Amino acid sequence: MVKYVYVVDLSRCMGCRACVEACKIENNTPAGIFWMWVFRWEEGTYPNVTVRFLPRPCMHCDNPPCVKVCPVGARYKREDGLVLTDYDRCIGCRYCQVACPYAVNYFNWKRPVEHYYYDWLREEGRGLYGRGHPNDYTGGVIPPYRNPDLEKRYGKEKRKVAGGGHYLGVMEKCTWCVHRIERGKLPACVEVCPAMALHFGDIEDPSSEVSKILAKKRWFRLLEELNTSPRVYYVGATPPSMEKVRNLIRWHLWTTRQSPRVKVIKR
Amino acid sequence: MKIHRRDFLRLVASTVAVGVLSYINLDSRQGLFENIVREQEIPEEKWVGTACWIGKQDCGMFARVVDGRVVCLVGDPKNPRNRGKLCPKGVAQIMGLYSPYRVKAPLKRINEKGEPGEWVEISWDEALDVIAQKLKETMDKNPKLIIWQKGRSKQKNIYDHAFVKTLGITKIGHGAYCSDAGYRACEYTIGQHGVLHPDFRYCKYLIAWGWNITNAGGNKLCWITWPQEFVAARERGMKVILLDPRREPGGPHVDEWVPIRPGTDLAFWLAIANVLVEKGYVDVEFLKKYTNAPFLVKDDGYFLRIDDKEQVWDLKEGRAKPYDDSTADPALEGTYTVNGNTVKPAFQVFKEHIANYTPEWASEITGIPAETIRRIADELGRNAMIGSTINIDGVEVPYRPVAVHAYHVAQQELGFQAVRACLIVFMLLGAIMAAGGVHTDILTKPKIHGNFYKLEKAEVKAETDFKLSGKYFPINTVNPSMIAKAMINPEKYGVKELPEVLIIHMANPLLSFVDQPTLIEGFKKFKFVVVISPWLSETADYLADIVLPTTTLDKYEGPLHTKTPYEDAYTARISPVEPFFQARDEADIYAAICDKLGLLDKFVDNVMKELKIDKKYRDQLVEGYKAGKLSRNIIDAWAKSKGISEGIRYFEKNGTWYVGKIPANVRYAAAWDPPFLGIKLRLYGEGLKRIRDEMRKLGVDEIYWRDYTPLPTWRKPTMENSPPEYNLYLISYHKIEFKQSRSTFIPLLAELEPEQRVIINRRTAEELGIKDGDIVLVEAYNAVTGEKRSIKARAMTIEGIRPDTVAMPHHYGFWVDPVARDRGPTPNYLFFTGEGYVTMTADQSFQVKVRCVKVGG
Repeated sequence: MVKYVYVVDLSRCMGCRACVEACKIENNTPAGIFWMWVFRWEEGTYPNVTVRFLPRPCMHCDNPPCVKVCPVGARYKREDGLVLTDYDRCIGCRYCQVACPYAVNYFNWKRPVEHYYYDWLREEGRGLYGRGHPNDYTGGVIPPYRNPDLEKRYGKEKRKVAGGGHYLGVMEKCTWCVHRIERGKLPACVEVCPAMALHFGDIEDPSSEVSKILAKKRWFRLLEELNTSPRVYYVGATPPSMEKVRNLIRWHLWTTRQSPRVKVIKR
Repeated sequence: MKIHRRDFLRLVASTVAVGVLSYINLDSRQGLFENIVREQEIPEEKWVGTACWIGKQDCGMFARVVDGRVVCLVGDPKNPRNRGKLCPKGVAQIMGLYSPYRVKAPLKRINEKGEPGEWVEISWDEALDVIAQKLKETMDKNPKLIIWQKGRSKQKNIYDHAFVKTLGITKIGHGAYCSDAGYRACEYTIGQHGVLHPDFRYCKYLIAWGWNITNAGGNKLCWITWPQEFVAARERGMKVILLDPRREPGGPHVDEWVPIRPGTDLAFWLAIANVLVEKGYVDVEFLKKYTNAPFLVKDDGYFLRIDDKEQVWDLKEGRAKPYDDSTADPALEGTYTVNGNTVKPAFQVFKEHIANYTPEWASEITGIPAETIRRIADELGRNAMIGSTINIDGVEVPYRPVAVHAYHVAQQELGFQAVRACLIVFMLLGAIMAAGGVHTDILTKPKIHGNFYKLEKAEVKAETDFKLSGKYFPINTVNPSMIAKAMINPEKYGVKELPEVLIIHMANPLLSFVDQPTLIEGFKKFKFVVVISPWLSETADYLADIVLPTTTLDKYEGPLHTKTPYEDAYTARISPVEPFFQARDEADIYAAICDKLGLLDKFVDNVMKELKIDKKYRDQLVEGYKAGKLSRNIIDAWAKSKGISEGIRYFEKNGTWYVGKIPANVRYAAAWDPPFLGIKLRLYGEGLKRIRDEMRKLGVDEIYWRDYTPLPTWRKPTMENSPPEYNLYLISYHKIEFKQSRSTFIPLLAELEPEQRVIINRRTAEELGIKDGDIVLVEAYNAVTGEKRSIKARAMTIEGIRPDTVAMPHHYGFWVDPVARDRGPTPNYLFFTGEGYVTMTADQSFQVKVRCVKVGG
């Protein structure tokens, strides 16, 4: 039986956030929603300072607090290790968001089609600087880079679990690109990583890259103390303190709460 | 015939009044949208090979196209520059294609210049007619008064060469704001074009000299290649020293941070050289064989020449001999008498020159403890393994696994000489173009850059042109802000003819260049300005008469030579979809301009000559032009001329054309035949001395000639003459999320780094009563003119910056595009151009003294 794990080599990570962007395009997540995020911070005092980076996908925990609290069975754990959200079932109660210590759950407060950076429905910018609008060339698909694979159903249970930005009022989070791994491809973040710091594979297969790395290098998992048994392993650095991780998460929530301001600026 | 949905919608759009359509669609599209995805279980899908449009290294990539829409971009694994990977900008540029704020049609200004533009859409034909007429007027007078200003040129053969040559106009790059002080220093000193990067595959000890490892490119490449090589070298055990006022560039990847005071790098390298010489870390054989260190220098500072030939002192026979006499064992030290002249080898002159540049002396200037400088010099000396060789691919080459990576750090007032001093350090170690040592260009065959000869003979003239060459900047990178100064005050510089027409190619000078007030005032004097851009740039907004829409990701452009120091490959930028709006590729635009001027044939001939395209494809190019597909057909004809029978289809299908590995005997100059192709690297810059003397003779002000010294010589940077209340240095820096204006217009990237911040040391901030998030006023002072300028931005207090330095990323200050604007000011407003703030080669310095005051919470 395949058991997926995700390995982050912090001795390689450049903190560039290509993974963040690849995820956003691949999974069509709306503005302000980051299934993948990279924390950046400094430690020490001048002149003894170091700078650290920490990519944070969903941990796909083996003891997932989000699954336990879901009242409708929308959040569930698969045999291959993935923790997924069934968009047909989610009622948007946000219990999972409260339960998750890693803050990987994002709620769709707005209609996703109105939340893709520009106002595609009202055709912001039409006619400005010359005739036309990008919708004339895309058939009005929102977002224009919409990934057709996300609409399909995945797993033997054929649930609607892939991609982001489906409906107003549902939760969404990283799926480890279920629509890609079921076709034998790597998650988009792993595929794009310029420093080759991100790895994904089957821990049950001793010849897999992830097995080899974990057999060779010291690893830690984020907030191990909470007994969530994450399936994301970090190598190449010492673990940040629980207080540090909490602060980083708080900071991330603060900045992403702000970021919807990014879109729709009317002229 | 099958009608795609997209075609259908376009058909509808063209037959129904636009206002009505958008109203109907508002309701119907949502239903349409839900259905679109459901009805298509198997969408039409293809992958198209292309290249990144954002950065400068043209990473190979594939576009996934579904039903005529680009849905994602992925790296091309065959491309040696990115090996299947992309950076955040590469991924997010997909939104650049879809931006509703793109320039969609040719635009004509209907209001005054110098204020936000008001535009009317005009036809391509009308736009080209106006442009041709304006060009003609100036060309009849003097074509050199037309400036083609590029930011980035992604196909030099077509734009910089064929187009510029066809019209005979003046070409100006952006190098004066980039790293050209370093380029000129390297061209002059070692005959190579670029600044400095290590031979990562063999390097063991690296000084990241102002190299923004985690956030910016490096020598010649914009990002991915260097981090990949860097990480691999780290895993092989390479030690890294970060020499930078900021700690952030190093991320978790450096062993030691050496925070250096901005603008003092020359002093650092001089002290390193002092220690190396004192401790005997000198590759004597390298200096004798490959440099002008043994050349005999007379009392007057010029080389001793007999029969027009430089001389060396032969230790064996105890007499002077021509430098190329292979029987001589040249002396590096001592004082000799030849034909009544007292002479010393250049190395002896150098040794005396640096005797007082001790680590203790440099410590005062750089803020680095003397013992740290001494230790780094010692580590460099020991790790250089002088005398060792290594066998690479069957070639025995010198092995000097010590290097430096440096690029934009060259842009400081003493940048030219700082890079020269650094090169001299690596000459002493014998590490120039050695295995593991410092390299400059990315070569596919042994080559000495033409500027090695040209700069030594640079003319000093009483007359000057609008570029201020000849008299003020005999070695001249050409700084557009200096041109603006000359346009504002031609009398001051004695400039007789001012430029009249400006064509702007992939640039946004008002934001990306320095000294906004000067640029606006100066450039307003252009009689006619054309901006070719996919977005309405700030420069277009204030200055353009005509804006021409060009393509972004929907572009054909190539061929693109995507070589690395280790592998050679070509790729091409291929539009995965039909171009949006009325946008045209640049090659097609330039051909159309030439056509209006009756120069189309000449342009096509020049393109063919520059790209070595076989004559039999000439008709194909001309037909391509008529069909608006010239750019595409150029790639096709070039590929076929190269023996790729499929032409452009090869690149569409396969992405990168991988040529092969670059052999060791190309990479390492000691393995060239003859080594270094016979040139002598210039430890001693006799030509600089000659330029200095000629400028003095002409009565040129000292501020222009004072740094033309044969050996790098320290002086206090001009900014230090600011009053004491300006007690902080301002520097600017690059963030990985952005790359010039074209990435700032992408909301996915703006979202990651939404606002400008003044980075300030926590203790300094405390002393100034500034807290994290406070609004601070940053005021810059011009130590030459006394001018003051200020901006306001929010502070971010950190530990990882020198207490005497504040830093601001340069990606902000936009005011047109809704995505880019209202995110805080640009530091480019605070940097001054002009005397005291440019190098001796007219390169811009990015350091200025400022004061910071809290003005709001």
